[in-house]
Amino acid sequence: MAHNRSNLRHGVDVARPLGIGFILAAMLPLVILPLASIFIFGFSKGPVHFWDALMTPAALFSLRLSLMTSSVATICNVIFGLIAAWVMSKYAFKGSSALMIIISLPTAIPTAVAGFALLLVWGRNGLLGQFLEHTDYQIMFTTAAIILANIFVTFPLAFGVIKPALDNLDTSYEEAAETIGATRWQTFRYVVLPSLRGALVTGALLTFARSIGEFGSTIMVSGNLALKTQTAPLYIFTKFNEGDVEGANAIAAVLAILSFAVFSLILFTRQKLEK
Amino acid sequence: MIRENVATSFQETQTYVEPATETRAALVVRGLSKWFGSEQVLDDVSFSLAEGESLVLLGPSGSGKSTTLRLIAGLEAPESGEIFLHGRHIEHLPARERNVGVIFQNYALFPRMTVAENIGFGLRIRGIGKKRRHEVVERLLAMIGLHGQRDKYPAQLSGGQQQRVAIARALAYEPELLLFDESFSALDPKIRVTLRGEIRALLKKLRVPALFITHDQEEAMELGDQVAILNGGRLEQIGTPREVYNNPQTEFVATFVGAANVVEACWRDGHIAIDCTQCPETAASARKMERSKLVFRPEDITLGLPTGLVETPYHLGRGRVVDVSFNGATETLRVQLQQRRQPGALTSVVPARSCGMEADSPCDLVIRVVRSKWDAERLPLAVGAPVSVGLRSYKTLS
Repeated sequence: MAHNRSNLRHGVDVARPLGIGFILAAMLPLVILPLASIFIFGFSKGPVHFWDALMTPAALFSLRLSLMTSSVATICNVIFGLIAAWVMSKYAFKGSSALMIIISLPTAIPTAVAGFALLLVWGRNGLLGQFLEHTDYQIMFTTAAIILANIFVTFPLAFGVIKPALDNLDTSYEEAAETIGATRWQTFRYVVLPSLRGALVTGALLTFARSIGEFGSTIMVSGNLALKTQTAPLYIFTKFNEGDVEGANAIAAVLAILSFAVFSLILFTRQKLEK
Repeated sequence: MIRENVATSFQETQTYVEPATETRAALVVRGLSKWFGSEQVLDDVSFSLAEGESLVLLGPSGSGKSTTLRLIAGLEAPESGEIFLHGRHIEHLPARERNVGVIFQNYALFPRMTVAENIGFGLRIRGIGKKRRHEVVERLLAMIGLHGQRDKYPAQLSGGQQQRVAIARALAYEPELLLFDESFSALDPKIRVTLRGEIRALLKKLRVPALFITHDQEEAMELGDQVAILNGGRLEQIGTPREVYNNPQTEFVATFVGAANVVEACWRDGHIAIDCTQCPETAASARKMERSKLVFRPEDITLGLPTGLVETPYHLGRGRVVDVSFNGATETLRVQLQQRRQPGALTSVVPARSCGMEADSPCDLVIRVVRSKWDAERLPLAVGAPVSVGLRSYKTLS
């Protein structure tokens, strides 16, 4: 199957080692060294030191907060993505392409701009925030603000994976279910949803991976209050600014490992579930 | 007046031959029309299907056969027309309320369900209990001979096995009608033939009325108690495979169902004649001449030595073999007919004696001839060989 073309030729193919060498040479200072240094420096003073830096209440809180807000944002965006993909894939309506663009827009917007925009809506004098001013409920500078920011910046990721999967799903499955006697809900529940399994998992992982590292919008809307609204990326930034490199490094290493894990899971589901 | 009389008597004979009157019919389709945008894909199609019988809708792609199936299944809505299933109006019902089983071209087995789950799906959504469901699924699995595959997924099955599962899945909820949408086209030719036989036997045993869609005339002949030929959204002819093959009503039917030679012909003094050019309109007998088309099957031709006459009712004169191809059981030849030189002097088909021995000149009328292996052995013919061409039977089309 995968015949290597250079094997068919006589002599040595110079392009091959040169090409691979170029990629590695370019990636070394750009990607590989920075990633490796997180672990090299994180563990340079020994694992005990690393463990101590990680086990401070503020560090643990920031990790928990990041996991929680990212999970909530992921659940919201997968549900939204599924419904939006269904509507956009099944129905043709006026302005559907404009709606497509609006759905996809949030990832294109700089995250600091996204955070700023949220402030304009939910802030004290914001479009919607002004109605909350005299109530006990506040959105800005709370956990809710972080979740809102996460939802905003990862909005189209799950949709972007689910929509093509739904488009590619042969309509004859749904037609078959219908002729067999299934209602629309039964068709969706038993036929469409299982076929979207891979896309749903991939979409969720992508959203989560993007969400857990979110910085720009979070720092605008959260207020960066330690033990209150400080997520893991904000903790890294704050600790580094304070000169606590070890503290920053420990969380950075954990986030990096977490991202590797999520990324491997994405590759795995792509291979196993999406077929 | 005359035409009307002919039409009525024809219908009467049909009613007599075929007991499928509308009251006993399982499926009645009346005046079905469908447009896609400004294009009419189905034009006033009517037919009926008797209980326990099978009907094949045969036609080229774009003839409207798939649309007809989708209208009956409820996957499309007709612009006009009625559909009755066992006397019940169904054209306004959604697909899930029609109680019709569809075997899709790609079988559409649910990829995330096992074979057993696929077959049991119709019962599951009807709220039938696990135990009863299990019984039905086991019975159907035994019937289609796939007991060992019950826990496999569709992707792990061969095309033929998938088709059988699709049939079992449709039969599980006891539909009133089975619809097969080009269900054999994706299969290997050898398996196709075997499965056709199996399905025909199964349908006869279960007495479920079935409607097949195909563009394969051989398949249509084998599967259908009745064959309906569609062309360009119109129903050209409906009848038993024998009727359709032996008595085609239109040129399309003649050429689409089996191979046929269709030649221009005209009536002259009570005889029909074929020509290569045009019928001489200026001839004195022009008024008595009526243009028509002559249809005959390749196997209706008998070839003989040019020196003698072939012992057939009609003669097409002499010709020359231009091509021979060996097909195994048969041999296919192309024969160029030779025409007398004088303009207007036509080679008579009827009667035989008018086929004279005058100087012939080639014309561009080439006909297709099929001979059995034994005929080919008795009179071997190579390209260029002169022959006399006899005709056993023919049909005229107006």
